[in-house]
Amino acid sequence: MKKASMTRRLFLLSTGAAATGLIVGCSTAAAKGRGYSAIAGAFEPNSFIQITPDNKVIFYLPSSEMGQGILDGLTTLIAEELRVQPTAIDVRHASLHEDYKNPEMGMQATGGSNATRAQFLPLRQAAADTAAAIRNAAAKQLDQPLDKIVLVDGQVMVEGKFYGFGDFVAVAALMPVPENSPLRSPKQFDQIGRQRPRLDALSKSTGTAEFGIDAEVENLYRAVVVRSPVLGATLQGFDASAALKRSGVVDVVKIKSGVAVVAQSYWQARQAAAVLELNWEKTELGSWSSDSIYNKFNETLNDSSQKGLECCDEGEGDKLLDQSATVVAADYYAPYLAHATMEPLNCTVEVNGDSCAIYLGTQNVQASAGAAVYYGDFDADKVKVHPAFLGGGFGRRGLGDDVAEAVLIAQKTGRNIQLVWSREDDMSNDFYRPAALVRMQAGVSEQGLIETWAVRRVGPNIMGYMLDEWVDALAPDYLNKGFVDWLSKLGRPIFNRFIADPSAGDGIYSDYDTPNKAVRHVTQDPGLRTGFWRSVGHSSNAFFKESFIDELAQSAGIDELDFRLANMKNNPRLTEATQLVAAKAGWGKTLPEGHFHGLATHSSFGSAVAQIAEISIKGTQIIVHKVTAAIHCGMVVNPGIVRDQVEGGIIYGLTAALHGEITLVDGVIQQSNFHNYPMLRMADAPEVEVHIVESQEHPEGVGEPGLPPLAPAVANAVFKASGQRLRDLPLRLS
Amino acid sequence: MITFQLNNSAVHVDIDPDTPLLWVVRDHFKLKGSKFGCGMGLCGACTMHVNGEAVRTCTLPISAVQGAAITSIEGLGTPDNLHPLQQAWVEYSVPQCGYCQSGQLMSASALLAKNPNPSDDDIEMAMNGNICRCGTYSKIKSAIKSGAEAMRTQGSLVEIFDPVITDKEASS
Repeated sequence: MKKASMTRRLFLLSTGAAATGLIVGCSTAAAKGRGYSAIAGAFEPNSFIQITPDNKVIFYLPSSEMGQGILDGLTTLIAEELRVQPTAIDVRHASLHEDYKNPEMGMQATGGSNATRAQFLPLRQAAADTAAAIRNAAAKQLDQPLDKIVLVDGQVMVEGKFYGFGDFVAVAALMPVPENSPLRSPKQFDQIGRQRPRLDALSKSTGTAEFGIDAEVENLYRAVVVRSPVLGATLQGFDASAALKRSGVVDVVKIKSGVAVVAQSYWQARQAAAVLELNWEKTELGSWSSDSIYNKFNETLNDSSQKGLECCDEGEGDKLLDQSATVVAADYYAPYLAHATMEPLNCTVEVNGDSCAIYLGTQNVQASAGAAVYYGDFDADKVKVHPAFLGGGFGRRGLGDDVAEAVLIAQKTGRNIQLVWSREDDMSNDFYRPAALVRMQAGVSEQGLIETWAVRRVGPNIMGYMLDEWVDALAPDYLNKGFVDWLSKLGRPIFNRFIADPSAGDGIYSDYDTPNKAVRHVTQDPGLRTGFWRSVGHSSNAFFKESFIDELAQSAGIDELDFRLANMKNNPRLTEATQLVAAKAGWGKTLPEGHFHGLATHSSFGSAVAQIAEISIKGTQIIVHKVTAAIHCGMVVNPGIVRDQVEGGIIYGLTAALHGEITLVDGVIQQSNFHNYPMLRMADAPEVEVHIVESQEHPEGVGEPGLPPLAPAVANAVFKASGQRLRDLPLRLS
Repeated sequence: MITFQLNNSAVHVDIDPDTPLLWVVRDHFKLKGSKFGCGMGLCGACTMHVNGEAVRTCTLPISAVQGAAITSIEGLGTPDNLHPLQQAWVEYSVPQCGYCQSGQLMSASALLAKNPNPSDDDIEMAMNGNICRCGTYSKIKSAIKSGAEAMRTQGSLVEIFDPVITDKEASS
């Protein structure tokens, strides 16, 4: 299962061959040499590792740390092969360099839950080669046979004597760096697979971890932007006279997305922004409201003349649907959702003549740098990105929209500025998880086997909006800007008319052994921009699929666990996870009075996850007491972090399942802050128990796969408790 | 001119009186551990202690803290000298993205200063104003219990907000 990587790659492969070749072939700042600044006397065998004469081991982290624990995980890989304690390694966020590209994505970005999978071997190889180089240098310098040189705990041991790595860096620097040095075998692992406190826990528990919003540079002014209440509208005119009279305000400038107010402090800028007067032209989105969007989806769903695009066609497709013993059909709906990262978007820009430095937390260092090049007209080698920790990512950070605004403001004002979005800016200027209305149909045999699986799906796509941001930011700077902008707009028509957006089909037809499948997606897009939201298509498709599987089991009169196991014979990972969760949660056991279990199982990003939710109902309120989960994610680097990620996915998923809904009235987003887009809080958070299937297979994703099964597990339990089959998200009892 | 104590030092600042304490501490005094999350007192990322009480500082005007004792995360403990709760936070690997955790720690430490042995309900009540988007709630709860126990056995104390003052000029 390499579905996830395919999804991300597809955007590169399918955007028109010409453009793609250019993008993949050229990094925006293809500097030669190492990805870091040289340190005098240090051994610099590759762009990931630097060892100084005073024994400091520095690791340049190529992936963004947004809470998923990748700093800990990748540092552990280096520690394992270099024979150093992970806590002894000085970890720094890597700036832009082609050596830091994610090998699966071909770009320096973090997403798709693939950072461990994609870098598990390359990073260990880099560390193993470095370790071999230190041993070679020690052998030469001490004139000892290589087999007498042993690396132990960050030291070089020779015949019972200990030396620092730094003692040999000068000689190592003069010798060739070995390649393809043997990697340690899983039996030898003493760091990989061990549970330890995560490496970034100390800085994040003392307020010393630096996030993008914490950046400080000389002569820094603060900026806020007022944008259109209806996303994407063009500014017709504005009156800044009142704002300019406010204390501390130094500039009011028009930029691409709106009008920026620059002041000495954030508070001054924010106060002044409130008295700006702006006129926006009407846009297409302004004629849509949530009700009319739903009605349009529904009309399209029932209009069989709109065939849509094929996501999947296997066996006889849907031709034999009516021949099955039992045929079931049901419509499901999932709304638009916002990401609501705890740290609102922000970007700090320092301009020095023809060069610029940008400070931010980003999932896409490359697109962030590219946005500065494209919008700020800087030469690629004059842009320096200083990546920081991310106060949550979930797919929102790294599109370049934050950088574009900040760079434009800095250029127009000639000042160093920090742009800070308010929570309201964040909520109403997101790239939303797309809404979808789906008709599920299936034919089941008398023996309870699914014979035909047919899905017709209506809603907007993601890829077109992503390309609109990324092509601008990632295209080589020698291309004409008008051409690049034209190119960037091609994504929407391509995915609307010719190629099914991979996220539309993600996970909606997989997992079960059904011989005949037909999945089609009809694009219906009111024009609200969409984006990758933790687990992307799986976030809604698992709800549709797994709720519907319960409906099939119930109409066949078969236990929901037995029905799944009988229909996933070709899915050993999911089978193992499902059996494990059933045993741990005690599927079928007697529960406390009024408590009910619901089961859901789903594979995504290479991993298989099964969950059992235990719920009760009080009036119309759904109370989730406990969620038991099992994950099969291949080999585990730090089991504590795997469990945290599954639990985190469950909590994020439960917020969405119980509360999450972005609505529009005349194109204006109705949610603005946490009072009307509520988050799960501690008192409502269920107990979560996560079990990991033992495995020696290659590691797979953990950041996202914990989320998709949660909503259907809860919905399936709610049905048991109430008899109400809730087919719309968020889950609301009547 | 507004004068107050910030992490046991007397400070003064001349600034628009309606400026929220959060921005004064972050951008004027350059203490960046307290975070901006919502600007409406709804998420708790900005929580500091004002005379020992956990307060959302993104909505608290600086004029309201004249003469008050303010403790931010920087005053709770440092990497070399951790508060028992911070020690527990590290042991339990509580943080994921970490952005909300300063606020979580300030709410938790204000709770323990008053209630050294809180029940689950006490903890939920005290912590319900702090949102964590990464879903670390269960670990926060465990770490609070562990930190509380450590504080009870070590006899470690409630923070002091009447210290000897070294008059430090506010730098800006």
